[in-house]
Amino acid sequence: MIFNSLEFFIFLSLVFLFYRFVCKRTVKKQNVFILFSSYLFYGWWDWRFLSLIILSTIIDFIVGIKIDSNNKKNTRKIWLWVSVIFNVSLLGFFKYYNFFVDSWVDMLSVLGYTIKSSWTLKVILPVGISFYTFQTMSYSFDIYYKKLKPTKDFLSFAAFVSFFPQLVAGPIERASNLLSQINSKRKFKYKQSVEGLKLIFWGLFKKVVIADALAPIVDDVFTNYSTYPASTLILGVTLFSFQVYGDFSGYSDIAIGTAKLFGIELMSNFRFPNFSRNVAEYWQRWHVSLSTWFRHYLYIPLGGSRVSKIKSVRNIIIIFLVSGFWHGANWTFIFWGAFHALVFIPVFLMGRNTIYKNSVVGQDSYFPSFIEIVQVLLTFSIITFSRIFFRSESITDAFGFINRIITNFSYASYKHPMGYRMVDYYILVILFVLYEYRIRKDERNPFKFKSKLVRFLMYTIVMFLMLLFYDSHIDRSFIYFQF
Amino acid sequence: MKKLFFKSIIYLVGIFVVIELLIHILHLTKDYPVRIIDEYGVEKWKPNQTGYSVTGNRRQNFSKFRINNSGYNSYREFLPTKTKFEIALVGDSFIEGFHQDFDNSIGKKIEKKLENVSVYEYGYAGYDLADQLHLIHKYKEEFDLIDYVFIDLKFETDLVRKKYEVVKSRMKLESPLYKNIRKIKLLVFMQNIGVIDIGKKFVSNLMSFKINKSIKREEKPTKAKVNKSRINNFDQLISTYSFNKKRFIFILEKDKTPQVFINHLDKNNYRYLDLSKGFDKSDLPKTLIYDKHWNNHGRDLVSNQISFMIKLLNKNNRGQ
Repeated sequence: MIFNSLEFFIFLSLVFLFYRFVCKRTVKKQNVFILFSSYLFYGWWDWRFLSLIILSTIIDFIVGIKIDSNNKKNTRKIWLWVSVIFNVSLLGFFKYYNFFVDSWVDMLSVLGYTIKSSWTLKVILPVGISFYTFQTMSYSFDIYYKKLKPTKDFLSFAAFVSFFPQLVAGPIERASNLLSQINSKRKFKYKQSVEGLKLIFWGLFKKVVIADALAPIVDDVFTNYSTYPASTLILGVTLFSFQVYGDFSGYSDIAIGTAKLFGIELMSNFRFPNFSRNVAEYWQRWHVSLSTWFRHYLYIPLGGSRVSKIKSVRNIIIIFLVSGFWHGANWTFIFWGAFHALVFIPVFLMGRNTIYKNSVVGQDSYFPSFIEIVQVLLTFSIITFSRIFFRSESITDAFGFINRIITNFSYASYKHPMGYRMVDYYILVILFVLYEYRIRKDERNPFKFKSKLVRFLMYTIVMFLMLLFYDSHIDRSFIYFQF
Repeated sequence: MKKLFFKSIIYLVGIFVVIELLIHILHLTKDYPVRIIDEYGVEKWKPNQTGYSVTGNRRQNFSKFRINNSGYNSYREFLPTKTKFEIALVGDSFIEGFHQDFDNSIGKKIEKKLENVSVYEYGYAGYDLADQLHLIHKYKEEFDLIDYVFIDLKFETDLVRKKYEVVKSRMKLESPLYKNIRKIKLLVFMQNIGVIDIGKKFVSNLMSFKINKSIKREEKPTKAKVNKSRINNFDQLISTYSFNKKRFIFILEKDKTPQVFINHLDKNNYRYLDLSKGFDKSDLPKTLIYDKHWNNHGRDLVSNQISFMIKLLNKNNRGQ
């Protein structure tokens, strides 16, 4: 049941009405129903996956209580390791086992030992496993660092782990934010629900119009890269930047909007990363819930930037490599992480990694300055280049793609694989960028216009564009579901 | 809650009204010509109507159609005579050609290639061999004046039945309910781009879930059995209607036709024109982006082959 399916909207409508009319009296009823709905939502993919999420919930619930009830640092640490080892093992088995086996076999073959591997397993990656394992681990970490008191209410905790709007692809919530809301009764608030509906609508637009419309072009370019000139490859990877942004931020907007309907505020996950002025700012704006997770639970415990420069650089390399590996069991993601570390370190060494933390491009003016435009274009180009690794099927393909850009630097007009007019897509992307620039100061309010008429016109245009670019023939699943 | 519900409804209705207007103004959906069953029981378009055929969400294919006095899409009227050299193309939507401008049809292309020939295109979406032979039979007087009749034949779809009957499901589209629904252009647009299908698919999934439990699946007939049944249908239709082997020529694609049927045609001395020969010679796309119908290049190839065959037939006739 994906967010852009009819099944989901029927499910959402029914759950919303039941939640608001039948379960409105007590927080317990609300949480029981949230839990039931979330398990139903998750079990829709494959009911067998439910056992994993239930197991992870039980382990971290117990670990949380155990950590809190012990004063001895070592015992607390042992319990924390129980959570980390269990969750990482779960991830390791389902996501990375085959990768390690294959890599080991490849390495041996390079050394001259050819073995026929029969150790790889045919396991399906459970949807959202990377997200909910990180979320439950954050709970144990927060209790360990005494930032949070554990909950004694298993139902609330289970609802926190499995809350369906953010279960399969984030935002990866912290218990300090989500659990506290789940523990208190949620009342219907008109304004919050309207904001939720607007975000769902905007998220759908980004998914249907931007991501799905560009997908066939990107797929064609990356599949047949060896036959295209550099101009087409650059076009393909640039459009992939917009596709992956539209896909993932669209999903996050729908998740945040859906949570609002249930009276819950999730953290922002995307804050217009395409307008970042350097790579560090990009990481403060792209997949915020994951980058802050790594900062809080990996970078800072390693010493963060409070240690020597060399150690800080080491810490940066570690978090980017782990972040790359988190995305998938493929060398392409590790190279992608390594590349980001490589471009982040100079910014860090120059002390420019936090200078744009509290501002946006064109902060005090309507238009960006010339320097800002150059900065944004440069950052976007660097990020887009890194996506060659992110999108390619293998590391050989990624380097083949880059090699072709360099060695076959020529231009040829590109024809859409299904024969559609390409100009439609160019106009679409330009208008999207301009609109996002217009709303860049508030990612939670994509239709922030004083005039009701203008707002209405914007809704109409967005709906109209969804119809104009809807394509029934393409795969409509979300890219980040594979992680 | 009430406020949220009612305001959402008001906004939705407002948005749909504006989009309905936009679809009208930008002409994003096709016009539906009216169907009739004439006095001979032949299903065709109501004579003398015009409109536009549109395909793709963003009007990627936009063409004008003109239904002539005989009820078929053509730039010309069908007035066969004894003196002129005339040919008829009888077929389904491929011959009907709503996806092309009526002034750029296969018939017109043939007329440009061959001098002093009039081409009458009896094309109607959904026509199978039963429809085609019934039409020829009922308008025998006209067809007897035409020198050659090319009949478009697709083995997989055109030989499913062995006798002619009015297709009720098609005529149902002329009911007041459907006519009124078609007035809402937004619905037509959503239907054309596949949005309505999401709902249909959802309902059918629900239904099939229910039905699958109670009904045993029937065994699928073998390919050979299906082919045999279609060949029987073919023979039955041919025997029902008088078929002039000298003047009637089938148009088919050998690539998409089972060899057993080709052998049957050869054995019984039916004439046919194999389009796949011409299609294979060209690497360019022959069909439209949005559907399987021939694009302009495809129509060029078809008209080339028909023209070539006519030249050949005329040459042979003169030789005799």
